[in-house]
Amino acid sequence: MMIAAFLGIDSFREVVQALANGLISGGAYGLMGAALALILSTTGRFHFALIFNYTLAAFLAAVLQADGVPFGLAVVLGLAAGTLSGVLCEAVVYRPLARRAGADVLLTVFVASLGLVIAGENAIRLIWGSDTRNLTGPADKTIEISSVVLSAISVVSLAVYILIAAALALVLARTSVGRQIKAVRVNPTMAGAVGVDVGRVFLLVFAIGAFMAGVVAVFTGMRFAVTANMGTTPVFYALVVAFFAGTARGPLTVMAAGLGVGAIESLSTLWLNSKLSSVVVFGLLMVFLCQATLRESISRALRRRRGAARRPVPVDAPVEAA
Amino acid sequence: MTYWIDILDQILIFSIFATSLNLLMGHGGQVSAAHAGFGAVGGYGAAYLAQKHGVSFVPSVLIGVALALVAGLLLSLPAMKLSGEYLILLTLTAQTVALVVISSVEGLGSEFGLTEVPAASLFGHDFLRPKEFLPLLAVVAVGVWIICGALAASGFGRTLRGIRDDEIATQALGKNTFLTKVAAFSIASALAGLGGALLVYYNGIAAPGLFGFDVSMSIIVMVVLGGSGNLLGALLGTTFVVGSAAVFEKVINLEPEKAGLSRLLAYGLALTLVLLLRPQGILPPRAGGARWRFGRKAAGAPAPVPADEREHAEHAPASLAPPPPDGRAAVLAEREPPPVDDGPVPAPILELRGLSKAFGGVQAVHDLTFALPEGRTTALIGPNGAGKTTIFNLITGTLEPDAGQVLLRGDDITAMPMHQVARRGVARTFQDVRIFGRISALENVRLAVPGRARNGQDDRSAIERAREQLAFVGLEEHAGTPVADLAFGDQKLVSLARVLATGAEVILLDEPASGIDARWLEKTLDLMAALREQGKTVCIVEHNLEVVERLADHVVFLEAGTVTAEGTMQELKSQSRLVEAYFGMA
Repeated sequence: MMIAAFLGIDSFREVVQALANGLISGGAYGLMGAALALILSTTGRFHFALIFNYTLAAFLAAVLQADGVPFGLAVVLGLAAGTLSGVLCEAVVYRPLARRAGADVLLTVFVASLGLVIAGENAIRLIWGSDTRNLTGPADKTIEISSVVLSAISVVSLAVYILIAAALALVLARTSVGRQIKAVRVNPTMAGAVGVDVGRVFLLVFAIGAFMAGVVAVFTGMRFAVTANMGTTPVFYALVVAFFAGTARGPLTVMAAGLGVGAIESLSTLWLNSKLSSVVVFGLLMVFLCQATLRESISRALRRRRGAARRPVPVDAPVEAA
Repeated sequence: MTYWIDILDQILIFSIFATSLNLLMGHGGQVSAAHAGFGAVGGYGAAYLAQKHGVSFVPSVLIGVALALVAGLLLSLPAMKLSGEYLILLTLTAQTVALVVISSVEGLGSEFGLTEVPAASLFGHDFLRPKEFLPLLAVVAVGVWIICGALAASGFGRTLRGIRDDEIATQALGKNTFLTKVAAFSIASALAGLGGALLVYYNGIAAPGLFGFDVSMSIIVMVVLGGSGNLLGALLGTTFVVGSAAVFEKVINLEPEKAGLSRLLAYGLALTLVLLLRPQGILPPRAGGARWRFGRKAAGAPAPVPADEREHAEHAPASLAPPPPDGRAAVLAEREPPPVDDGPVPAPILELRGLSKAFGGVQAVHDLTFALPEGRTTALIGPNGAGKTTIFNLITGTLEPDAGQVLLRGDDITAMPMHQVARRGVARTFQDVRIFGRISALENVRLAVPGRARNGQDDRSAIERAREQLAFVGLEEHAGTPVADLAFGDQKLVSLARVLATGAEVILLDEPASGIDARWLEKTLDLMAALREQGKTVCIVEHNLEVVERLADHVVFLEAGTVTAEGTMQELKSQSRLVEAYFGMA
């Protein structure tokens, strides 16, 4: 307790509760991050429109449910639509763009995906309205484990997220499809040369990524609300997580980074205004991005300094001439 | 009427954002997803000073601009070392942090913002209604267009376009690309701060909603839609994005909420479609730089190459008399080796001493020592993987050696940044040409002319010099053509002209004769002979031994990253071991 008082918090229960909350939101960050990392590292596409794939899955499920479709079917259809939208982003927009963009492909695809995000969100608003919707699943219960209170759905969601990440890791490691994805990731040209259908692998990766995002969206919609702009924040966190872990890392590593980021964010609310907790996360990412580059330039400058301090070399030193 | 003046005012304000981002993104190829965030720094800075400390309009705006400048400078120091997805990510992150901070700090009004920003006033005149703001905004916006246009047309803008098309090649021409990018980012951020401050005064409020991520996105849309790298394009894009709401509301008569949504849908779709159908944007970037400043430039530039002639360039070998099947061999057979110089070997100008470089476990260069005699042509030959290109990279500072030294006239230039090596007179070409594809041949060469144009006189003499180099390689008729439209052989010649324009004494040429047809081979050999005449020190990496034999005074034979033989071609050919190992196969 003394330590707790020293740290300015009421009790360890509070810390454990914050940690549990953090891990639950961290699971969502982790799965989103794994989806984004899979797409970015395999295809090289900065698929910002994952925002749209995410939103569409939850929004369509909520709309269908409101129209009387049973919950389970609504979720399946929503996930299918979200997955399909991811595949279409690649097939209809990114692929034709990349074919022509040459060296600028990363920037061009990023800008196009911004266009898709803007158009997609507002198409949803125009078609179904801007009102907040609900996605009502099985009734939620609260579970209490030694005075830490959690929602049952959130615990289930965390388990599902981790299972999906593990399944993806298994697919990548053990199946021939997984080996194809990894081959394309390392060297698309070479993979194509040995008979991998690179275009198909790209589509598959977009489908997997959009599906993973859809799962997170459905759980988030059940716990909170469904809105047309619900995808932006999760994708920002996914970016943070994916880059902390390293985009080329496996899904379980990214998941671990997600859990860590969730925990740090949640624990920071013990000391900080909760509105600022995202600053902690994004601030850490900024420091992370900045320090690598600064460290490199400083060490290079130091080496040069040392080099310059060496004794001047006599100009007429012997040279091995012809 | 007031409605339309309000739209016009907004177009003027957002054109400041778009024009400045265009400088960074369209010319420099560096994306910033934090442009609205820098607007927030300027806008909130000005609003805070005005509302809480009674600072008047002009000083508060200027301080806001200064704050945005400093913020941009601080962010650009790490950001401009990053590329691609990391740069996007860092600017996205900065945008997020800026927004979270302004919407949660109580002194800045949290999510409501600073709601009582005093009216803007100048010379005792208050600006309250859109009509009163119009002349003020017009003056400022035109000022910003002029500044950005002048910067784009200057040497600074040329360097930016070089960075956009190929940063490494730009460094190899002696340009400090990092500082150029930092300056561009800081200037763009400062101007975004200006836009932000005006936006805040115009709305009478500094609220987070004015500077959200969606605003950053829409600014990128404005730039890309109109045509990045084109000043008028940025204006057109701004007009489209800002004005489309008015069209939906007043012309198509949608209710305001529907109109707003339709506008966003329309410009999101328009962006995607424009990228798919017209990737360069509605207005194309100009190969020669901004037009409106260089009325005279258009007159001075050669007429664009007629389409049939360009065809000719692209398919030149086909349209000439069919070259003999062994055209290259015939060209080479006509040539004599360089005259044998019996005099003493000239003093070395560039020396490599004990250079080593390993990549992981592979020792690419090992304890390498040789020198380039001044005014001579030296060739590096050897089997694939002997480390030839790595040596060029070590000399020019592209790579840092693990051990050893590179000396230029006795000065240690080991691991010096590439642009400094180039400024000291060591220039190089690249195996893969690395030409600036989207700018004209003349601009490509002009970028390489050292020194900064300070006035019209310098500017003209730089153009003159670039034109001379282009004429030297025989491409003056293609001066105005974007280099991407030239045949590969001509692109190689442009890259050669570019290296010559640096005025470097030591010229490193990476496979100058590879991948080109007889016609260009002949030209290339002529040029290299001319360089020798001029007393330049040349070092070539070349696989074709017949080319080497006809060009080089001095040949350095490399195996596994180290020198195993050195001398004239004749001397090397007399060593039976080498004949078996290498020449036999040639």
